[in-house]
Amino acid sequence: MLRAFRSELPKFSRWMVLAGIPVMVAVTIGLPYFALSRALTSTDTPIKNLPQILPTTQGLITLLSFAQKFTVAVAVTMVAANLAAEWSQGTLRNLLVREPGRLRWLWGKMLALLLFVILSTTLAIFISTGVILLLAGSYGISTAPWLTLEGVGIFFLYLGNELLGLVGISLLGMFIAVLTRSIGIAVGISVAYVLIAEDLAQAVWKDGATWLPVHLFDYLWGTESHFSMGVPPMGYGADLIVALLWMVGFVLVSAIAFRRMDINA
Amino acid sequence: MTLHSNVSPIRQAISLSSDSDLVIETHGLSKHFGQRKAVDALTIRVPRGSITGFIGPNGAGKTTTIRMLLGLLRPTSGSATILGKEISHLRAYLPRVGALIESPAFYPGLSGRKNLEVITRLGGYPGSRIDQVLEIVGLDRRAKDPVRKYSLGMKQRLGLAMVLLPEPEFLILDEPTNGLDPFGIIEMRDLLRGMRDQGKTILVSSHLLGELEQVCDWLVILHEGKTLFNGSANALVERRSELVVEAADAAQRDLVVGIARAAGYRVQLLNGSLRIACPADWASELKLRAQDAGATDITISRREASLEESFLAMLKGEH
Repeated sequence: MLRAFRSELPKFSRWMVLAGIPVMVAVTIGLPYFALSRALTSTDTPIKNLPQILPTTQGLITLLSFAQKFTVAVAVTMVAANLAAEWSQGTLRNLLVREPGRLRWLWGKMLALLLFVILSTTLAIFISTGVILLLAGSYGISTAPWLTLEGVGIFFLYLGNELLGLVGISLLGMFIAVLTRSIGIAVGISVAYVLIAEDLAQAVWKDGATWLPVHLFDYLWGTESHFSMGVPPMGYGADLIVALLWMVGFVLVSAIAFRRMDINA
Repeated sequence: MTLHSNVSPIRQAISLSSDSDLVIETHGLSKHFGQRKAVDALTIRVPRGSITGFIGPNGAGKTTTIRMLLGLLRPTSGSATILGKEISHLRAYLPRVGALIESPAFYPGLSGRKNLEVITRLGGYPGSRIDQVLEIVGLDRRAKDPVRKYSLGMKQRLGLAMVLLPEPEFLILDEPTNGLDPFGIIEMRDLLRGMRDQGKTILVSSHLLGELEQVCDWLVILHEGKTLFNGSANALVERRSELVVEAADAAQRDLVVGIARAAGYRVQLLNGSLRIACPADWASELKLRAQDAGATDITISRREASLEESFLAMLKGEH
């Protein structure tokens, strides 16, 4: 598995992959900045009581949460496209005749992809946090509560939950890629599912939809903005347990399917 | 009366003396996709140290067979061994095998060197092999260019470099000369012969029968998922050889035609000479019978059928 992990690292040097990092940083700065400026200059704020929330310990993570949906879309696209490309490009056959242990290869590759998602998201959030701190000061918003022990604790809890949710989203991307085996289809289904399908499901089946994976991963962040689901209605503990069960399910189904499937790519 | 033999390409005398001489052995290997039998009870044997031509029209089952041998497809039934190991034990033999399946596939945004680095890290091969194989295939000067800028021939060479990375005992090459220019084809031929001389076994799947004829000493011919022929190239050529008889006049020619037909052989008149489809060693018998019948002024020579002729005859059911 370690060899499979190491073999993935040269692939991250492609400009298309590397370009994702500055884009992610730009958006994680841009969307919170948009929310911040709207909160202070317009009565039609993205969240009704955002001006009241900002000077509290929840202020920083509320602003950061405006980029959540985008981060989720980038993560699922990156994982689904990267994995499905091995089928679409035909490179999978080259790899599996060198590492016939298919699950070892899959876990090695996913470990590398998850590490990439986690590191790039963490980097983007820290840069965004720095910029928000500077901007908030210049807008006259008190950032002192953000920097208290409680505020910093809330920030790191948010960061941990965001990364955990992104792991879940990435495993969903893996699941879709393994089953579809095509870049276009995998990315199309992943993005449509993450951004649209569950919202549609919620419109017709409100209670049931809250137990669907993207809802559960999103609830982990527990923040409220136009771009996130908000506080988990079932409670954090139940949310965490069912979210983990979804992740285990994605892993199991992907493993069984990948181990048994013929490689025609 | 004279006898000539027209023996073409250089081939190694290959024979099977024991099972340990085999690199591939399959028994009733089958792969069905729904109702379609892509490979149907295939039983073949490929000897160690040979260059084996794996021949068949499109859809004959060549690539499906190769994929099963490499663990990419699961056989529906049957068994097979590679280098003496069951194909269910991939780890026991794949590290000793280098394979290029269909057109070579790469990461187009990565350089040739980076593509090899991916495989080197995955296979656990020493990094120094990258420079060695790049030099062997003549890509050392373009190694830093992204693969999307490579020509088809360069991609083919990079695919071969990938195959050579583990220093394999057994190579499986699917259409290795595809996209190569004439010089590239000659170089590839020399490379294959050189590797065989080093003791490696090579299975080459190709549609270029003329190319295969020049390098192969063993042949496996497939049609509609079944084996049509599995044996040495010499055996096939001898099986398909014919005698060419030039007679001084029409009367003597007619006598020869009568003798050959009486013996049950097919005779064709082509550009004034007779072509008799019969075993090569029947020439001396024909000579005696012709003399007894009064046809004393004839010339008999042996003509080997080309691989292409043999292949087409087999597909038509002429055994």
